[in-house]
Amino acid sequence: MAKEVKERNWEPKIVAFVCNWCTYVGADAAGTSRMQYAPNVRIIRFPCTGRIDPLFIIRAFQQGVDGVIVSGCHPGDCHYVSGNLLARRRWIVFRKFMDFIGLDLRRLHFAWVSATEGAKWAKLVNEIVEEVRSAGPAPAWAFPTNGATVLETSLPEVGLPPSPPVEMTAQIREIAKRLLGTGEVGVVVGYEMATGAREGEATPTFVNKPEDADRLVFNERCVHNLAVYLTNPLVKKFGKVGIVAKGCDIRSIVGLIQENQIKREDVSIIGVVCNGVVVNGKLAEKCVNCQVKVPHLYDHLVGDPSWAQSPSGENPLDAQIADLESLSPEERWNFWMPQFARCIRCYACRAVCPLCYCQPCIAEKHRPQWIPTSPHPHGNLAWNIIRAWHLAGRCIGCGECARACPVNIRLDLLNRKLALEVERAFGYRPGFDPSAPTPLSTYRPDDKEDFIR
Amino acid sequence: MQRKRLTSENLKRWVDALIASERRVIAPVHEAGLTVFRPIQSSDEIAPNYTKSDLPFKEWLFPPTEVILCYRIEDGEPVLEDPEVDSTETVALFLRPCDAAAISILDKVFGGDYEDEFYLTRRRRLTIVGLSCTEPQPECFCTSVGLSPTSEQGSDVLLTRIGNDFLVEALTEKGEQLLNESADLFVDAGDLTKEQVTAEAVAKMRRPEPLPNFSDTYAEIFEHPVWEEVARKCLGCGVCAYSCPTCHCYDIVDEATLFEGVRCRNWDCCAFALFTLHASGHNPRPTQAHRYRQRVLHKFAYFLQTYGQNMCVGCGRCIIKCPVGMDIYEIVQRVGEQLAKV
Repeated sequence: MAKEVKERNWEPKIVAFVCNWCTYVGADAAGTSRMQYAPNVRIIRFPCTGRIDPLFIIRAFQQGVDGVIVSGCHPGDCHYVSGNLLARRRWIVFRKFMDFIGLDLRRLHFAWVSATEGAKWAKLVNEIVEEVRSAGPAPAWAFPTNGATVLETSLPEVGLPPSPPVEMTAQIREIAKRLLGTGEVGVVVGYEMATGAREGEATPTFVNKPEDADRLVFNERCVHNLAVYLTNPLVKKFGKVGIVAKGCDIRSIVGLIQENQIKREDVSIIGVVCNGVVVNGKLAEKCVNCQVKVPHLYDHLVGDPSWAQSPSGENPLDAQIADLESLSPEERWNFWMPQFARCIRCYACRAVCPLCYCQPCIAEKHRPQWIPTSPHPHGNLAWNIIRAWHLAGRCIGCGECARACPVNIRLDLLNRKLALEVERAFGYRPGFDPSAPTPLSTYRPDDKEDFIR
Repeated sequence: MQRKRLTSENLKRWVDALIASERRVIAPVHEAGLTVFRPIQSSDEIAPNYTKSDLPFKEWLFPPTEVILCYRIEDGEPVLEDPEVDSTETVALFLRPCDAAAISILDKVFGGDYEDEFYLTRRRRLTIVGLSCTEPQPECFCTSVGLSPTSEQGSDVLLTRIGNDFLVEALTEKGEQLLNESADLFVDAGDLTKEQVTAEAVAKMRRPEPLPNFSDTYAEIFEHPVWEEVARKCLGCGVCAYSCPTCHCYDIVDEATLFEGVRCRNWDCCAFALFTLHASGHNPRPTQAHRYRQRVLHKFAYFLQTYGQNMCVGCGRCIIKCPVGMDIYEIVQRVGEQLAKV
């Protein structure tokens, strides 16, 4: 009975994140001008839209709001010159991303409202309240117990990549011996063949004496992105690092240089020509249309560039993304929630990622606890969304997170979706230009969008 | 204790009878490309050709997250409430002997000096039907830690496939009772024994060397450089601990809004830097070498000292799940070799 009354009397609960200088004053102007508008909005004031972290939006939905408004100064009017322009870039990508997760976009709104636009604010709130009302009460952030959406598109059968010529292994050993012998590097991070239970697989190894260099190998089993070790304190203590890197791994190294995590001169890149690696017994998805089979940044080149095959077809993940996008938001939500339900918060996705270098990670910040550490719906949703989001425009698609995930969450699809949106909006692909700014740390005054009111 | 013979057809009938007995029956099933333990409604759901689950059974006794206390402010006064602990009568089916032995290890921790009511409430209502291993996997090393593919530790009933039939051994009162309820499905075991099956399975183990015991000697290698050599590759994630059937460390967090909250107990892992980080900023285990040493010595020294047993059952999950191929069997052997040289 009480529940029925509650449902009948349901009113949309909306949170507005607004900037101090424009929209807050605009909303105030609406009030002092005695304009009447829907009372469903609670305003939270920020110094600038640039301070409105998408995590706040996630938190608001987790706390049970039905809709969110984000609003600030018009482009050109920012009190801090460019905060709103930086924010705009984030919104362009984040909105698409939340749509991909399955958030009904009738619940998420962005606007420019200046200090004098009290009337615009009142009209905006009225419109948005009706839109949120039409979407109904927000679904609980809980894991559905049945009815998981299954993707119709499966990943294509791609067979195995060709084995790299054995001379490449000899070349790597030769280079490592020379680098270690002359003292140019303190350690070479490369691959060796595993023994024991994982015989037949390659595994990361660290060679710090020339006589040990004969352990090093290169073949199609060398899946790991070794760039993750460039920020590892136990590796850094050797001084300059030599690293065996495939094209994809080199893109991560470019990211680390771009973000000032390593200096170009502190790493000696032994770039290897690569025609793909084996994950789960077949060619890895990322290798199908790889554009960097021949390394694009290196100090030593291993292998013959003419051996590299030309890239073919599309990224196989794109078909699955298109499949998901053809579904309703609710169906997408029911695809992702069961995925996230499996997460046990082992953070293997974070540990293997060369670009997840933050110390501490946002998931470890607990004053306040932005991301609940518990593997329950709120915690897992926030973690998986924010992990992917923090890699927007930075992830080079090495796929290590998805490979490392012990419970098969499709982290590769999340990362790929963000990469597609960043490329579509800003024409940017990460991992090529060490001197370029990352796309979400910069802006253009004429960045295009069609959803900010 | 009873020793019985059960045909494959009757095994199916037995499982369905257990489900019909209003118990919750948890068995290995295929889900999203994984083999995991889930409640089943029919014997048909059980994963065919099951060797070992991806995640161990422990989540049903020691869940990844669990509310241990609820509180709220009511009329200005704090109100504390104990959460209800799931006390469904449960049968766990087809745990491999390594996984069953792991539960006997967890029992020592959660039922030791401090009796953990959350764990024990579930544990008292759990009956474990083990299934002997006939196909050890490449990563398996149970015989190196004092167990065997057919060991009985932890099981209430142990099934061993012999030809088309199963040898059914009741090992505890709980197990006896379970068999008595469906007595008509079993026939006397006669001269059926698992000796040959055990010998065949042991012969298939690829890693037969016993692992060293560091309980009296670890002080000699505590500061040895070998720890850094083996741990350099470790990326500090929690896959090993979370896929381990014996790892039991947890973190306690409060999750609250203004007027109500819960206290949760969540899995934690010694590989995380945060595991030992002090509020002051000091970390007594500052590098992955210190953290990995803790993992090895907890399993092969400290636990032995306290409970007289390894805290490792040789299931090898940590080895196959590790994204960079850390192999605890090889690492422990390597540390042992270094110790011999000290």
